[in-house]
Amino acid sequence: MVADASQTSERADSLAIDLVDVTKMYAGRVHALQGVSMQVGRGEIFGLLGPNGAGKSTLVKIMTTIVRPTTATGTILGAPIGHRPTLARIGYLPEHHRFPQYLTGRQCVEFFGAMNLMRRADRKRRAAEMLEVVGMKSWGDRRVGTYSKGMQQRTGLAAALVNDPQLVILDEPTDGVDPVGRREIRDLLIRMRDEGRTVFLNSHLLSEVELVCDRVAIMLKGKVERQGSLYELTHESRRWKITVEGAMPAWVAEFGAPTVERGRASVEFKTEDLAWVQSCIDRLRAEGVMIVGITETRESLEDLFMRLVRDVDGRVAAVGAGNVNTTMRGAR
Amino acid sequence: MKGVDGQALPRLSAADYFVQTWGVLVAAYRELNARKLFWVALVLNGLVIAAMAAVGVDEKGVSVFGFELPIPLVNTTTYPDGKLYKFIFVGLGVGIWLAWLSTILALLSTASMFPDLASGGVDTMLSKPIGRTRLFVTKFISGLLFTALQVTVFSLLAFLVIGIRGGSWEWGLFVVVPLMVVFFSYLFSVQAVVGMITRSPIASVIVTLLFWIFVFLVDAGERFTMVGVISSRLEIAGIEARMEKVEDEERKSGFTKRRDERLETLPNWELAHGIFYAVKTALPKTSETAGLTTRALALTTEMPVDDEEQQVDEQERRRRGLFRSEFVSPRKLEAAINQEYESRNVWWVVGTSLGFVAVMLGVGAWYFRRRDF
Repeated sequence: MVADASQTSERADSLAIDLVDVTKMYAGRVHALQGVSMQVGRGEIFGLLGPNGAGKSTLVKIMTTIVRPTTATGTILGAPIGHRPTLARIGYLPEHHRFPQYLTGRQCVEFFGAMNLMRRADRKRRAAEMLEVVGMKSWGDRRVGTYSKGMQQRTGLAAALVNDPQLVILDEPTDGVDPVGRREIRDLLIRMRDEGRTVFLNSHLLSEVELVCDRVAIMLKGKVERQGSLYELTHESRRWKITVEGAMPAWVAEFGAPTVERGRASVEFKTEDLAWVQSCIDRLRAEGVMIVGITETRESLEDLFMRLVRDVDGRVAAVGAGNVNTTMRGAR
Repeated sequence: MKGVDGQALPRLSAADYFVQTWGVLVAAYRELNARKLFWVALVLNGLVIAAMAAVGVDEKGVSVFGFELPIPLVNTTTYPDGKLYKFIFVGLGVGIWLAWLSTILALLSTASMFPDLASGGVDTMLSKPIGRTRLFVTKFISGLLFTALQVTVFSLLAFLVIGIRGGSWEWGLFVVVPLMVVFFSYLFSVQAVVGMITRSPIASVIVTLLFWIFVFLVDAGERFTMVGVISSRLEIAGIEARMEKVEDEERKSGFTKRRDERLETLPNWELAHGIFYAVKTALPKTSETAGLTTRALALTTEMPVDDEEQQVDEQERRRRGLFRSEFVSPRKLEAAINQEYESRNVWWVVGTSLGFVAVMLGVGAWYFRRRDF
């Protein structure tokens, strides 16, 4: 029993989000979530991916008490889902937020500070800080109704962070934001992680998720299809591609069929054994073959995502090898 | 409640509740400030009071902007100590402006409050540590701010006018502030629930106005049947009083016949009145709540009677072929009706109406709690 309690405590300490068997059946028997279990560690950036209708927003809304689950067990920051004081430690930016148009950006951020139980002096100070962080300091005293989409998004981000949250849940945070702003938001997410906060990112932008997330979950049709770090999700597809000038020696054929293009031959190996790759390179060099490229290839997040979507949709389960992650060109 | 580590989880404190509630109220005030209708209503408040201030009364009579008006029996002798201004305040200010026009402006101004709460904009709010019931009720209270601010300004101006022009510093008229807020809450509770369910400001205003008309009709029906009951009782009492003094058997039987006719119809009136009264008990009592101002200011609507009016009463009695004993003059009837209204417990008037508000808020909060957004 003591050991169980200790393990539970350790689990709570290490996990910011621990969801077990979350289901949601909407009226009309729409089964939005079909037993979702998901674990998000403290101090990581976690990306939630999925096509429209996968149930991502429903899951996020259940975590933030906006939608009532049909069944759900689990914890958020060590407390049961929906525990009110714990909600004050969460920052949330919804996808289609609509802030009161009659408030100024500063008043808006301060208002959500008050909703998060912050005392007047604290919320005034934090609102000023956060508006500066999101680049809205000079616009803070103008009404939200006069803001562009990107400015509203930045203000929303400031409102989500005003309470100095331990867990930040962001639904499409870069929606409507220009490329410079996107970069700034990405940097901000990384900074938050470095400060020990947990960031839960719900985004359609796979490239964005791939750039900042430590771990991701891919949801399809109300279920979590895959969950893990980018490495865990894609390492199975890892291959080594060696390209040489001219023709490949005959012995190479036993590991894979070489392809020839523009006078260069290439062959792909699927192996986890780097020593074997090294010995292969050594043998080629010993035979005087000029190696012009050694490339590690693996499925990109987008490829994995598309493959899973196709698989689940019952379409062709085509595995498309992705593009370069690590390249060593001209190795000899 | 305990966390996964077995430790007791923190709870919200009273100070936390206050911070959130104050935050919602401040935001509501800012919302009202941003609405043109709020300022339009405030200016209209000033105009109504200016009209009241334009009325002058001295020992000779009444004047408006210095022009004397031919209104008999109205002067500082019949209406001393600013009583005329109080009548204007209750009749025009409360009876027409606050209880009708200002209320309609308030309903229009707050129409989008609950549809907004029930639509996409609520996501961020619901993710905060505030319960839905509390959010719903706090939002409702913040909606009452419109009326509270308007009526406070109106009362303050009226207080100054009655004090300066009438020479009477009537602190009691500030009772109109809570009364009108309560009055508005009856209708606003309906608007809140309809707005929450339909998410349409227009639908919520229309349904609320229709409901108000229904309440008005029930109130009118109750008053009409009350008139039937009271006039029958007064007539019967008058006839019986007369019968005791009559010796002649033939005349006595004539009185008996008339009394019996009224005794025959009285139960029907009482039944009809009982039904209306029961329905009215369950509904908000808008007219009677506004009428409580009269009670609070100890104003009677009893006007001085002149000879001309007495002659009119006499003509009416003769036209109807009634004995003097059985004739109930309009003034006597009005006085009896007023007495009946004033005999009603304030807690029946306000308490049952607030009971209605509580039921509506309960329905609205229940719906709000159950909805997914």
